[in-house]
Amino acid sequence: MWLHLNFNSYFKSSCLTVAGLALIASFNMVNASENGLGPKITIQESSGESCVLPSEQMRREHPDLLKHDRIQTLREGVRAKADGSKLDGSLKQCVNCHAVKDDADKYVRIDNDQHFCVSCHQYAAVSIDCFQCHRDIPEGSSNFHALSSHKDVNYTNVVPGTYSLTIEDVANIAPEVSSDDN
Amino acid sequence: MTINSEKETHSEMESSRRNFIFGSVAAAGLTIAPGVMLYQTANARSLSEKTSSKVRWGMLVDTSKDVDWNKCVDACNKEHGLANENHSRDDQKTQYIRVVDVKNKGTGYSMSLPVMCQHCEQPPCVDVCPTGASMKRPDGIVLVDRHRCIGCRYCMMACPYKARSFVHEVLTDQTENTPRGKGCVESCNMCVNRVDNGQLPACVEASQGAIIFGDLNDPQSDISQLLAKHGGKQIRADLKLNPGVHYQGI
Repeated sequence: MWLHLNFNSYFKSSCLTVAGLALIASFNMVNASENGLGPKITIQESSGESCVLPSEQMRREHPDLLKHDRIQTLREGVRAKADGSKLDGSLKQCVNCHAVKDDADKYVRIDNDQHFCVSCHQYAAVSIDCFQCHRDIPEGSSNFHALSSHKDVNYTNVVPGTYSLTIEDVANIAPEVSSDDN
Repeated sequence: MTINSEKETHSEMESSRRNFIFGSVAAAGLTIAPGVMLYQTANARSLSEKTSSKVRWGMLVDTSKDVDWNKCVDACNKEHGLANENHSRDDQKTQYIRVVDVKNKGTGYSMSLPVMCQHCEQPPCVDVCPTGASMKRPDGIVLVDRHRCIGCRYCMMACPYKARSFVHEVLTDQTENTPRGKGCVESCNMCVNRVDNGQLPACVEASQGAIIFGDLNDPQSDISQLLAKHGGKQIRADLKLNPGVHYQGI
């Protein structure tokens, strides 16, 4: 019994070691020239000169800033700091400064990996739902969101696999409305 | 020393400029640019102050004026980026203002009036909200905090004015000042973003003087004086919710 257990744990640990070594080796191969672990992310340049706090602080504290000021603005009606300048945690201001343009000189929407917020949050595996309601690009830019490009889809008799539909088409199929509730 | 005195002169200049602007506003509604009207502010609040109950915002709708209320609805839709649902049925689509036609069958007299959130003093939607999302600001504006709304639609059932709508589908291309999205209840917020910045609500601006906006707590404001002189009616006043929206000619 003891022997069996011992063998088992020995086997496990050796397996782990091998796997670990393989992992380290693979990192070394990918980032041999970059002196770091894991893939690198590219933070998009912003148009403003400086952010409301130093970058190090912004990276850690921006969720608190946003949460604090959304309560102030929405519930208490505070729209500016005491000196009249804009609030630190205004999402509108974030978007206006950090909006990223693509090669065609159009602002990229939230479904694009290049979007400032997405570029980091995707890397960190954090899903944000701010932009389900908030505008994701500066006002006045009217290129439409990719998700709303479903106007030409034929909604009748759509069964995935039997018709030549892309995954996007299937995702954009509107659910049938049959109930009477609002 | 020199720097200090320069600073003082600068701040004096700033304050006199502010006095000039707000002084003129107190005297009368002031047009500072085409389409931008400032309202009367006796209990003026700076942008960095919290709202207070010294002010109670209200509206007075004169239905006897020959106005196309649909223009107000259009202005509202434009301001808040409404009417962008693609899949919802007509009765599901968001309306902040409904134009209600009424007819007296006996006399044949008919009229129409705009009905939006009535901004009650005792709002039932706030009473029933399980999360505190439906809220009343101290200055009387009733609105939904979408950060807290779970979309239960209890407030829609509680509202006697049918003022609230529920967003049934994914929305895109919202306006900067009115974030709105699927799964939340929403309603007229008296253009809170404009009011906080000293502008009139969009429907008031589009109404050609048929809707007056102002502070019900200030006896010198236009709206208070008109109400004191001619009176006004609240819809379903028997419910004793004391709405902030008053009507004349109904």
